[in-house]
Parts: sequence; structure tokens; C-alpha cells
Amino acid sequence: MSNNEPLNKLVHDARAPLNRISMNAELIKLVLENDMPKDKALAALDKIISNCQQCSDSLQKIADSDATA
Amino acid sequence: MLNILLVDDDNEFSEVVCHIVEFLGHNINTAANLAEAEQWFVNNHFDHVFLDFMLPDGSGLHLVEHLKSIGQTPKITLISGHPSVKGKLAEMCEPNVGHLVKPLQREDIERVLNPKKAAAKKKTTPSIKKHFGTLIGESPQMQQLYTMIERVANTSANVMLMGESGAGKEVVAQAIHNASACSGPLVATNCGALSKELIGSELFGHEKGAFTGAIARKDGVFEQATGGTLFLDEVTEMPIDMQPNLLRVLETKKVTRVGGSKESAVDCRVISATNRSLEDLAQNNIIREDIYFRLAVFPIDIPPLRERKEDISLLASAFLEQLNDENNTDFQWQASQLKLLESYDWPGNVRELRHAIHRAFIMSDPKGKAITLPDNLESPFSRVNKQTQVNQVSAGQTIEEVEKELIHATLDKVQGNKTLAAQMLGISTKTLYNRLNAYGGIGEYS
Repeated sequence: MSNNEPLNKLVHDARAPLNRISMNAELIKLVLENDMPKDKALAALDKIISNCQQCSDSLQKIADSDATA
Repeated sequence: MLNILLVDDDNEFSEVVCHIVEFLGHNINTAANLAEAEQWFVNNHFDHVFLDFMLPDGSGLHLVEHLKSIGQTPKITLISGHPSVKGKLAEMCEPNVGHLVKPLQREDIERVLNPKKAAAKKKTTPSIKKHFGTLIGESPQMQQLYTMIERVANTSANVMLMGESGAGKEVVAQAIHNASACSGPLVATNCGALSKELIGSELFGHEKGAFTGAIARKDGVFEQATGGTLFLDEVTEMPIDMQPNLLRVLETKKVTRVGGSKESAVDCRVISATNRSLEDLAQNNIIREDIYFRLAVFPIDIPPLRERKEDISLLASAFLEQLNDENNTDFQWQASQLKLLESYDWPGNVRELRHAIHRAFIMSDPKGKAITLPDNLESPFSRVNKQTQVNQVSAGQTIEEVEKELIHATLDKVQGNKTLAAQMLGISTKTLYNRLNAYGGIGEYS
């Protein structure tokens, strides 16, 4: 693990939304494979979209921190 | 059903994991930090703990220590965002502690919750990719074939498959049918196997009483394949006087049953196949030109196995896997055996390879794991083919060369007996001697 603590924190923050995106995508697969009500899938899709934005913001922070370093 | 505790400070992640784990048929509770997790263990028992490595009030490893101290031994899966945690876990040497790296996938969760089932499932799914559900091979020739299949599958064009015997024409037809996602069935018929009298009724159907023995109405293959694919194997073996009838159906897209008067519409793709070469088709009047153009809107050449040797080991492994599955055995190839299979040129193509592997499979000791390949892979057919190939003459040879070859082949056949050889060649013994003298080959046979 890198010893750059602030950077590690930023990377951790960027990875968290990816983790949520991955799980929500798995949930959508389950919903579709098992013909479950589609509102669950739609809610999961909304979460994926908002987490993409969040991930992008986190990556921007990493880029900015790199520029200031 | 397992009792599971998920310890993670990311509430949104916890919520969606709960949905998934519940769907997999387990009970799940959540804790957002170490304190909550320890609280859960006061009055509850858990079979499995999913544990985030970094928690607001400390490392997940603290909970592992805590559980040890209170004598609880659930299975623990640490979840972290960094693979280096794995090294730390290895140092701990805890047999009941596993590890997953974020981002997680459902299969990861299923695997840690039910390791046996996941492993068993893995074994039954074949490891070799079958393109379009049927075709095996990753060579450039096959990739090209896959592209062609994909392109033509999206159209309704008639396809003619050309390739040597055993190269897999029927399998390619199945692949095109699968890739086209049409609603109807794949109907296959072998034009070479039908008698001249029956071919009309087989292809176009017949009405009741159309001929002696026609006790009921019968749909022809064109009608059976409605909405799907009609595969006409060995189409070039169809008697030439039957071909105008076929042409009519292909041109008008309408079929009339034998003995019937009503036309019905034909709605299917026709895939035909032949093992003859294009030159053979053109020169020997085997198929009418107009039919050829109707059938071969999109001709596809299937490469013989010797031109894609890199696929031999893939095919061999797939065939052996299938035989193992069917017979509950566990035979494995050795690298040297696969090399041996690759060195042979398989004139009978994939069919011959499959046959050779099946034969070797039967010959092998069922108690062992090693397959016993025969010393000689050649089938009787390939030996005959080879011999005729040796004797073949080709343009560019001089008469002298061919004569010399013929004399030598004849002498070989009769073990150098010149009187007999001369008789067989239809020349006098003296002429034979003269020829041999002229070619300077007399020493070999004296």
C-alpha cells in the first residue's frame, strides 16, 4: 500500500461508489433474470447514475490534488 | 440458509448487498461500525461475517480478535479496496478468514457463502468456448468464418457451404441458424440419401393418394422449415433432372405438393452443402448454373482441419471433456499427445479426429487418467487416399517422368519381378530392361 495517506483516502472515496455501482448492477441482473418487479431495477439504475457522478467528482479531486502537489 | 452479518460503514452498499444476499436465500443483518458489530454478537449467532477492512472506529481485524476472545468462530470474509490486504491475512494464518477485493460481484458472494456448490458448478460448465453454441476454434481461419456467419445470419440470403468431408458443414449450418435468431426450426435433409422417386415428396411433400403408399398428406421439408432454416446436405448429389423442380421453388418461393394443385408459400433460409470443389461443380455438370446462383448467394468455404492445426488441441480437449462427462471419467491429455495429434494432417477432418479420440478413449484403462493413443493415427481411408495421391499425375510432368514412376510403382508392387511387371505394363521384358537402362534405375531391381 502506498504511504501517501491523503491520496489513499481519495482513492478509497473514489472506489466506494464503484463498489455500489457493481452491486446495484448485480441486483438489476437478478431482477431481470427472475422477472421481478421492475421498480427495484429502476431504483438501482438511479443509484448507479448518481454514483457515477460521485465517482467522477472523486476522480476530479484526485486530479486537483495531484496538480497542487 | 445461513445467518450473515455485514459490517460496513457504507449504508447504500449494505442495503443493496442485503437485497442480493436475501435473494440468495440467506438471513442478513448489518452493522455500520465495530461497536454495533460486537453488540450483535452478544445475543446472536452468525455463520458468516462480511467485514469491511476500514471502519470508522478501527480496523476489521479488531473484530476478528474480539470474536476469538469470546469463542465465536463464524467464517469471516474481509472486504477491502486493496489487494495488499491479502498479504496481511496470509501472515495471520487464520483458516476461517477469507478475503474479497472491492468492487464485489455477486459470484464472489455466492462463492464464499457456498464454496462447494460454486466449485461443482464450475466443473460442469465446459471450459472451451463454443461459438454460436456449436463451433470450436480460435484460429484466424475460424475467426474469419465467425465473421461471415455473423454477417450472413442477419440477412435472409441462401448460403452454400463448401468444405471437405468431415470439416463440419452441418455444424456451421447449425451455427448460422443459431445466430439468425429465427423463430422456426432447423430442418436437415440429405439429398444424396434420397432415392430418385422419393426426393420430390421429401422436399415438396405430397397429398394423400398422390402415389402408391401415400396414405396420408405429408409436408415437405420446405414447409417443415417455415420461419426457420432448411439444410440441404450433399445438394450436388441430387439427380440433375430433379433440379428444375428445386429451382422453381427457389425462384417463386412457392411449393406445390406432389399430386397437389395448390401452391403454398415458402418462408425459410436454404443452407446447402457440398464436399465438391467449385471447379468440379463447374466442369462436370453436377449442378445447374441457375440453381448454383440461387443457392450460393453467399458461399462459405469451411477450412479443412490441416489448415488450422492450432485448433486441434482445443477440439481434442473439448471432445475428451464431453466423453469424460458422458462416462463419468477423468481422462486428461498430455502435452506430447496433443503435439502428436497436431502433427497428423487429418484427411477426414474433425470427424476423423473425433473418431480417433473416441477409439483411444475406449482403449484407455478406465482406472487411470492417461489416454492411450494408438501408434498409428491413420485410418484405412486416409491410407487409401494417400496411395492414390502418390499415383496421381499432374500437368507439367513429362511423359518420361510419368512412365518412370509407373514402372517403379509396378516393380514395387511385384517385388522387383521384371517378367511379371512387364506383363502388367503390357510391354515385353526386353522393353522394360531397355527403359530401366535408360532411366538408370536397373540397379535397384537387379
